[in-house]
Amino acid sequence: MALLIVKFEDSVLQRVSINGGSVTIGRGPDNSIPIDNLAVSNHHAEIKSEDGHLVIQDLGSLNGTFVNNQRVKQSALKHGDVVLIGKHSIHVDEKSRGEAPVAVNRPSGNLSGGVKEAPKVDETFILDTAKRRKMMQEIAAAGERSQITPSRVRVATLVRVKGQIEKAEYQLTGKLTVIGKSEMATVRLRGWFKPKMAAQINRRDDGYYLGRGDRVPKINGKPIWSPTLLSDGDLIEVCGVELRFTIPE
Amino acid sequence: MKMEASVASVVRELFHLNAKQMQWDVAACTDTGRVRPMNEDSYRISAEQNLFVLSDGLGGAAKGEVASAMAVESVVASMQNDSAAMPGEFVSRPELTKETNLLVRAVESANRQIHEQGMREPACRGMGATIVAAHICGRRLSLVHVGDSRAYLFRAGTLQQLTSDHSLVAEQVRHGLMSHQQAAVSELQSVLTRALGTEQSVEVDAAEIELFPRDSLLLCSDGLTRMVPENEIAEILVQAPGVGIAAERLVNRANECGGHDNITVVVIRIKKSLQEWFATFFPWCGANLV
Repeated sequence: MALLIVKFEDSVLQRVSINGGSVTIGRGPDNSIPIDNLAVSNHHAEIKSEDGHLVIQDLGSLNGTFVNNQRVKQSALKHGDVVLIGKHSIHVDEKSRGEAPVAVNRPSGNLSGGVKEAPKVDETFILDTAKRRKMMQEIAAAGERSQITPSRVRVATLVRVKGQIEKAEYQLTGKLTVIGKSEMATVRLRGWFKPKMAAQINRRDDGYYLGRGDRVPKINGKPIWSPTLLSDGDLIEVCGVELRFTIPE
Repeated sequence: MKMEASVASVVRELFHLNAKQMQWDVAACTDTGRVRPMNEDSYRISAEQNLFVLSDGLGGAAKGEVASAMAVESVVASMQNDSAAMPGEFVSRPELTKETNLLVRAVESANRQIHEQGMREPACRGMGATIVAAHICGRRLSLVHVGDSRAYLFRAGTLQQLTSDHSLVAEQVRHGLMSHQQAAVSELQSVLTRALGTEQSVEVDAAEIELFPRDSLLLCSDGLTRMVPENEIAEILVQAPGVGIAAERLVNRANECGGHDNITVVVIRIKKSLQEWFATFFPWCGANLV
């Protein structure tokens, strides 16, 4: 029985035992060793156990499979070999006996309950600036070659359509944009009975969310009771003011 | 209109309503969780300075608890020493107020201290910590952070995240390389891209937000946010009658969900001010008062 130890940097992500049969590695969730990284192809490589010998085969991956830093199509594996796939490494351990390997467990497509998943890298560690830059570049480059196009972090703009407000355009650079009468509000409303904080826009990692304040705003005519992700071209209506939300593609 | 303003100023004088500092209640709670052997989180509340600081020592690195304690102590001390600074002094980001600039500076200096200690003492080599610090000045909240400890604002029934994690997965989400859902199950959630103490200098994120009465502010370590979904956090904040109970319930919930990491929360609730009460009863002059 051999043990495959999947690592990222120095952290062990997974231990998988291979005892006859095969193990597949790739970005898709159907792999026995899934790796969440765009540098990894959907079905990247396969390790088979044939008559007690381990063999790795590249399944036509974009960025290649490396055994001890040599790019391979197919190669036999022995104890101590290191397979490099994207930024992850798989260490081959054929000597381990007593240690019970952790079974391959994986949330199967059920992403909604994901928050409660135990983190796989248990210990927090930090990438230094240089390493991080390199990794982000590699991820971005891999994205360019794959279907997903990486984009720069985008800044949205609110454009006045109707209503009494100071400016014709507002850049949403802050984490929280307040629409209201308050002195510090980004979009300042005028008028006697306008609330100090009518509505608010929260900039999060995945986009801008419009939420209610003292009023319930509308997106494209529909009232918004809970925070709602804004998309390009949406019309926001609150307190008699209409604003067009635009975000560069 | 002119008349209205002068009536307002007379009323303000009469009822001593000029105090502009927001009044708040605060409570904090910390727990080791169910898996880790020790608690490496630290927090400090300095009521007289209106300052709240939370730090998560990095478990992978040696002496995480030393780093997080140094981080919070150092920020509180710097804010105390520098508060007498002249306007314009220490201002490196002119778009932000003096208070926010001081807070950024305090975090930068904490980073240097932890880094130097790490270089000096072999036992502390490579230690690091995250930080999130909030300072309330008048109606303005200054917020700074490094790492994956977060600040949330709970207002008008919605929970809004005021910080962006400095982690590899969050950066990928921001660049559109990964979805929110993918990030939540990624194995690489613990890989940070910024932290205190690991390098000689650190880039500090800063934000300024206007506070309103009845806002709640939550500072927390990732032991809470990785375990408890945001809708449950919001529910606890709505239902808890006071900040103490809210803090306790958040920590208990994180433990019920597994308690994989140390959990620390600081809950701050902005009180309804005298002006607000006044405005409720006399809306015609109240609107100009606050």
